Amino acid sequence: MNKFKDHESWEIIHIPDKPPFPPHQQPTVKVYAAVIDPKHANTLVRKLNHILPLENLRHVKRVRKQQLDGGSTHLSVILCLAGEDDSQLDVVPKEVVELIDSYQLETFITKVCRYAPLSKEEWVEQCKIWPTSFHPPTYNINGITGFSEEESHSVCTFMKLALDLAKSERQMVNAAVIVDPSTNEVIARACDQVYSCSSPINHEVTKNHDNMLLNSSATEEPNLLYDGVSCLYPWGWSNQKSCDSWHPLWHAAIVAIEDSAARDRNLFPGSRHDLAEIDHVQPALTYPSPKKQKTKSTDVNAYEELGSHTNGCPPESSRPYLCTGYDIYLIWEPCAMCAMALVHQRIKRIFYAFPNPNAGALGSVHRLQGEKSLNHHYAVFNVLLPQESLNRGGVTEKPSNVAHGVSL
Amino acid sequence: MASCGGGENPDIVAFMKLALEQAKIAFDSLEVPVGCVIVMDGKVISRGRNRTNETRNATRHAEMEAIDVLLDQWKEKKLSKAEVSKMFSKCYLYVTCEPCIMCAGALSFLGIKEVYYGCANDKFGGCGSILSLHTTSCEEVGGKSYKCTGGIMAEEAVSLFRNFYELGNPNAPKPHRQLVQQP
Repeated sequence: MNKFKDHESWEIIHIPDKPPFPPHQQPTVKVYAAVIDPKHANTLVRKLNHILPLENLRHVKRVRKQQLDGGSTHLSVILCLAGEDDSQLDVVPKEVVELIDSYQLETFITKVCRYAPLSKEEWVEQCKIWPTSFHPPTYNINGITGFSEEESHSVCTFMKLALDLAKSERQMVNAAVIVDPSTNEVIARACDQVYSCSSPINHEVTKNHDNMLLNSSATEEPNLLYDGVSCLYPWGWSNQKSCDSWHPLWHAAIVAIEDSAARDRNLFPGSRHDLAEIDHVQPALTYPSPKKQKTKSTDVNAYEELGSHTNGCPPESSRPYLCTGYDIYLIWEPCAMCAMALVHQRIKRIFYAFPNPNAGALGSVHRLQGEKSLNHHYAVFNVLLPQESLNRGGVTEKPSNVAHGVSL
Repeated sequence: MASCGGGENPDIVAFMKLALEQAKIAFDSLEVPVGCVIVMDGKVISRGRNRTNETRNATRHAEMEAIDVLLDQWKEKKLSKAEVSKMFSKCYLYVTCEPCIMCAGALSFLGIKEVYYGCANDKFGGCGSILSLHTTSCEEVGGKSYKCTGGIMAEEAVSLFRNFYELGNPNAPKPHRQLVQQP
């Protein structure tokens, strides 16, 4: 174990679904509210939750209780969303207007926070505007609430493997490693093949790459030396010299996905019709949106089932659904094409080392993990590499027990 | 997104019919029914249909298949990267469903000239529905935009999807919906 003691200086940061805001500058939406008589509170809240549940504002409390100076309490209730342009009651649904009339409510416009609080600090600030509830994250996805010693050790090992891959090419490229975290098995590994000129590892070049990565961690802007990293310069493929084998779309993640699919076809050659791909359009009549939650838990079940079969030849029931339950390690944050490909292939967690300010789709330019309409959501982590792991000694020492198909 | 009824330009409708033919082949192969054709100088130079089940690779959408057909052809002719890029800039894509975020990004990277699609893709669409990758603003790193027009024979495309999902996707992972028994 002491071989990996440097992992303590690594940092794994969860990249959340929504962009970070300073706690006191969180985005808000306007709502119609009314002061109500406490003795009507229960009835009114029940009726309002029935006719107009606050679907996208579940973190917001319907009722605000304020203590007035005289010791009496003052209750206000949220009626409905208000238009952003202060247009008057025309947006209020008919049933709500009926309630306003029958209880003779005085309405006013106020603000509530648009997103659920992610930290206690955010929650405290939100409640100054209008009370919300705070639930510390309890997702099924490991790591969002922190990594155990053993988990962060694995994360470092696989990120180092990806770094070694990236540096083994003549030009600095992105690299991808797909891993089954339940067994620590490497499922697939690949580099960008947009201008693939396979060449033996040149140690002078590797040394140069180490220096480049060191600089990369020091400066935010990727410089031109990185124009071989496909996700950073996805439009630049045609400016590169021609080589024997190349493909403008073979970014590392795309190649790794094809490798994992090829592995699936080899391991389970018989049944080619067990999989589905439902990512084009699902007509509303057959797939109402509330089923989305179900899909999530299904994935988790399939994944747990996977761990229960371990004898010899993999049984058909152990066959994973695409990359369900798998992690991918990338050196650079993926572009929109790669990030969406990883949604399609049902990757569970993405770990990347460097942000991609040009075209990154996991927080830098777009944020696919926060696009609610997608039918699959992965967790995203930025792995901050310690300086020493970028130095020559640190990275070129390849972890000997990580080999294709060999468990740790 | 600009939308045209599909009745005005007979060429556009004719090419979309060919894309729908590809979608029907996908349907008959128990694949999600999406198809496309790529047109250059008024001629169909490539066809593609969804092959995600067969390949077990969920990224093998119709667009990706048709693009790879072209790349194989052009590489066989020993075209340089610059020449291939020039070829893509003369290509029109006709696809039965709005390209997803992955395909919309890929089409921008390749520098395709123009895209016509059938129905919108309101869960995954990358040409206006969820993201607008056809109007990229990344000019400083060479970002390329393309014109995109939706609503061409959209009803035909939707009805294929409807037939596919009403039968119950036979390939969906186990705990999903029950299949409808066929008479």
